Amino acid sequence: MTRLFRRLPPWLALLLPAIVILLVVVLVPLLLSLYSSFTPYRLTRPESLYKWIGEYNYVKVATDANFWMAFGRTVFLLTVALNLEMLLGLGLALLVNKVTWGQRGLRTIMMFPMMFSPILVGFQFKFIFNDNVGLVNNALQSLGITDQAIAWLVDGKLAMFSIIFAEVWMSTSVFAILILAGLFAIPRDPLEAAKVDGCTPWQSFRHISLPFLMPFIYIAMAIRSLDVARAYDIVQIMTNGGPARRTELLWTLIGRTGYVDAKMGLANAMGYISIFLAIFFTVYFFRKLNASRTALGYNA
Amino acid sequence: MDINQQHRLKKYGLKAAHLITLFVAMSIICLPGLWIVLNSFRPTVEIMAKPPIWIPEKLSFDHYRAMFGGVGEGGVPVVRYFMNSLIISVTSTIIAILIGIAGGYAFARYRFRGKSAIFVGFMVTRAVPGVALSLPLFIVFAKVGIIDTHFGLILAYVAMNVPFSIWLIDGFFRQVPRELAEAAEIDGCTRWQAFWKVEFPVAKAGIASAAIFAFLTSWNEYALASQLTRSVFSKTMPVGLLDFTSEFTINWGGMCALAVLMIIPALILTFIVQKHLISGLTFGGIKG
Amino acid sequence: MKRTTLWSATTLAIPLLAVSGLSTAAEFDGVTLDAKLIGGQQYEALYARIGDWESETGAKVNVISKKNHFELDKEFKSDLAAGSLGWCVGSNHSSFASQYPSLYADLTPYLTPEFMAEYVDSNIAASKIGDKLVMLPRAQFDVSALYYQKSLYEDAEKQAAFKKEYGYELTPPDTWQQVSDQAVFFSDPPNFYGTQFAGKDEAIVGRFYEMVVAEGGQLFNDDWSPAFNSEAGIRALDWFVNIYQQGAAPKGTTSYLWDELGQGFASGTIALNLDWPGWAGFFNDPESSKIAGNVGVVVQPQGSAGIRTGWSGHHGFSVTESCENKEAAASLVSFLTNEESQTLESATGPLPTRKAVWEHVVAEAEGDAYRTEVLQAFQAAAEHAFPAPKTPYWIEATNVIYPELQAAILGDRTSAEALEVAAEAVDEMMRENGEY
Repeated sequence: MTRLFRRLPPWLALLLPAIVILLVVVLVPLLLSLYSSFTPYRLTRPESLYKWIGEYNYVKVATDANFWMAFGRTVFLLTVALNLEMLLGLGLALLVNKVTWGQRGLRTIMMFPMMFSPILVGFQFKFIFNDNVGLVNNALQSLGITDQAIAWLVDGKLAMFSIIFAEVWMSTSVFAILILAGLFAIPRDPLEAAKVDGCTPWQSFRHISLPFLMPFIYIAMAIRSLDVARAYDIVQIMTNGGPARRTELLWTLIGRTGYVDAKMGLANAMGYISIFLAIFFTVYFFRKLNASRTALGYNA
Repeated sequence: MDINQQHRLKKYGLKAAHLITLFVAMSIICLPGLWIVLNSFRPTVEIMAKPPIWIPEKLSFDHYRAMFGGVGEGGVPVVRYFMNSLIISVTSTIIAILIGIAGGYAFARYRFRGKSAIFVGFMVTRAVPGVALSLPLFIVFAKVGIIDTHFGLILAYVAMNVPFSIWLIDGFFRQVPRELAEAAEIDGCTRWQAFWKVEFPVAKAGIASAAIFAFLTSWNEYALASQLTRSVFSKTMPVGLLDFTSEFTINWGGMCALAVLMIIPALILTFIVQKHLISGLTFGGIKG
Repeated sequence: MKRTTLWSATTLAIPLLAVSGLSTAAEFDGVTLDAKLIGGQQYEALYARIGDWESETGAKVNVISKKNHFELDKEFKSDLAAGSLGWCVGSNHSSFASQYPSLYADLTPYLTPEFMAEYVDSNIAASKIGDKLVMLPRAQFDVSALYYQKSLYEDAEKQAAFKKEYGYELTPPDTWQQVSDQAVFFSDPPNFYGTQFAGKDEAIVGRFYEMVVAEGGQLFNDDWSPAFNSEAGIRALDWFVNIYQQGAAPKGTTSYLWDELGQGFASGTIALNLDWPGWAGFFNDPESSKIAGNVGVVVQPQGSAGIRTGWSGHHGFSVTESCENKEAAASLVSFLTNEESQTLESATGPLPTRKAVWEHVVAEAEGDAYRTEVLQAFQAAAEHAFPAPKTPYWIEATNVIYPELQAAILGDRTSAEALEVAAEAVDEMMRENGEY
């Protein structure tokens, strides 16, 4: 065994633990679920795993209008949430970066939402956005801004807004902290030079700081697109895709089909389509990241 | 009004605007969280009151007392959950970081075929949604017999955190000039010694930032934990939150109390390491 | 050390045995049972009695999982899938039981007919899948009755105004039409609403189901093809649509589940609330409710067909088919649902499923006007109770139906259209599952 290990090229020996663990924990289960997506697998009838039905589930999924609406909504949520988080994170980082006193405390506060488990965030915003006794409506009514009970979690547009709000609240920190790190790394000289040359603050931000920040922004984008599916916990608790499918996302649809309806074969077929979506987002941001690094001349 | 004065006014105005915006932003970040902390000290009638009660009338430790109380009085095995969470998060973070160091070093220091394909392949494993992975993973774990054990969950979390750790740490090793390590080797160090003396110290900050991300992810993870744990012997705190829900009710005050216990350790840890975190991320970003 | 604990256990067991007379000393010595039990405050008090059973029989119980109802359901399904069925005793619920027909064993061979006759007959009937008795009911029986705020009905001004507008006296409602009238009459959004209803998941389909029955229709035909796309179905759905569109229920009601409903009624902003017995204590407790002392309960109203609503369910315990020691497991299950256990469990409010315990709680409530009113209302409610449709695909069907019900309530579709779409989807689902 050790001799075999020695004979491996060193890079492979070093990567071996990572490869093994990812094979065991991710790839093997995924192969199992790939197989099961070609069966009528129902959890409560284990023997159904051995019946091959070909591409039936995929055809069913592909022709299901509800699935494609959920798909569209998921892409919409990802796009809006990621961009909002990026902009807000950038703003927040710039604000905190300007502060000279007590920055350590501020940075910790800035990361506060990262301490919250997504499932907790779900419960939290479910109560905050409750139309009858929720914090937001109570505040709006007490301040005399409205005398209506706004149905945050029900109204067609507001329900999606509420979910995006919760997701943005939880995850903007990740962007802010990464962009702040980027701001710290900006070399001072070009900025000084720009000031001497009479550039406006906007110009020097646009042409010097921003290109420098881009790799950081793409890193954050890539990280977030990697685990944005964590939003599943939030959505499941807040609306569970309802009402009337107004907030149905791929993940809530998969969770319900797989666990509540017990139709795992079908759920896994949906899962595979959603994995391709995740891969697309990830690869896209990696490309962007590499391009922006190359532009800065950092790629060896 | 002379130009100087105008200039000064503008400067003060900007400064005030900056402080106000900062204050508003920080409020939005803090309020929902502080609301949870506050609720953990209030009776449920007050939280759900209509018309709302803005200034708390009664603050008490009732929810905390109940939580630590006996079975049937609202008691939840908090200490067990806390220990499970701690053991699982810390162990999985350490292992993920060790594997991350090995992997990051390999990516930073060796050239081999299919390098970038392997790299992206690693990252993509992280992109698989937990809800799609949880059942097949459960079946595999059940066959092996590691359901409801610390080991099972640690294994899952290591796999979850390895890709990102490799990525961050890889960036750090790259910024150590190859010549530096080579020089050390020429000076009679083994490759191993060169690594410890030259490369590792530089990468420390990056390792710290990878560690905090890994820790927070494991500490807060729910989807996999709810599937892979069953009894009090392995349930973690996020899963424990659901103990406050039953068929008909949610004990929101109690849930908040447990949430506070979850947040505090994470907050302390973050406060301690955040300096490393920032400098860590700084270099990880540009070199990669 | 070990010996002394054993010894004290047997001395303890002897007097207990003399009383119960059910089993012989240390009947199941050395047997260990793994159990998966529902967790949560109202369920836990009973589990303290497991120790008594252990010392009585010499067996040992290992609680290997304790989760809330929905998480447990997910876990059972995962266990079936993975074949990890080494455990013996599981919590069960009548509405969920038919989803796992192969998981649990028939308990009839392990029980005497006399023992079974001590349970309420309709609860035993609801615990069966076909002829198979898959669970024994514990003292957690649920059927809904109508809670209301008393003061609203004592206000002379309101009485007069109501009579003028609707032409009949303002009294707690006995028909769903009256509920609808009064709910609209009482509503004053956003501060006060006439009523509310569970608006998502299985819950709204359950509410719709009982309303269809009360309107004289049914949800499924005998072959499990959908039957709710009918006149009665449309009338039933229109009731909800009407309440919502007239602003007589909170706008968020389609996002509510039981917790929001209970909290909402307790916050004093709802006039009429069809709800479960478990809330009775909560609503009348000044610690948890703003309307304590002002709560009335009447039997649930009837629909236009003269039938009362009465969707019901109960918790219970089951023994797995794969259990190696079914006798011991059945003994534990009957112990946890026997007279003493049910007396203990129903002492805090939940409804029993044994005849003698019903008598006991009614006698116990004497002198407590509120508790007596509650028990009378729920005793009457129980007479009209009927379980959820017993098909393995009930939960799956609810997931197909509820988004369409919501669409009608929110005004995205008409009731007829929504039921049409839902019926088609259920039909396709049942065909695919090989029902017909």
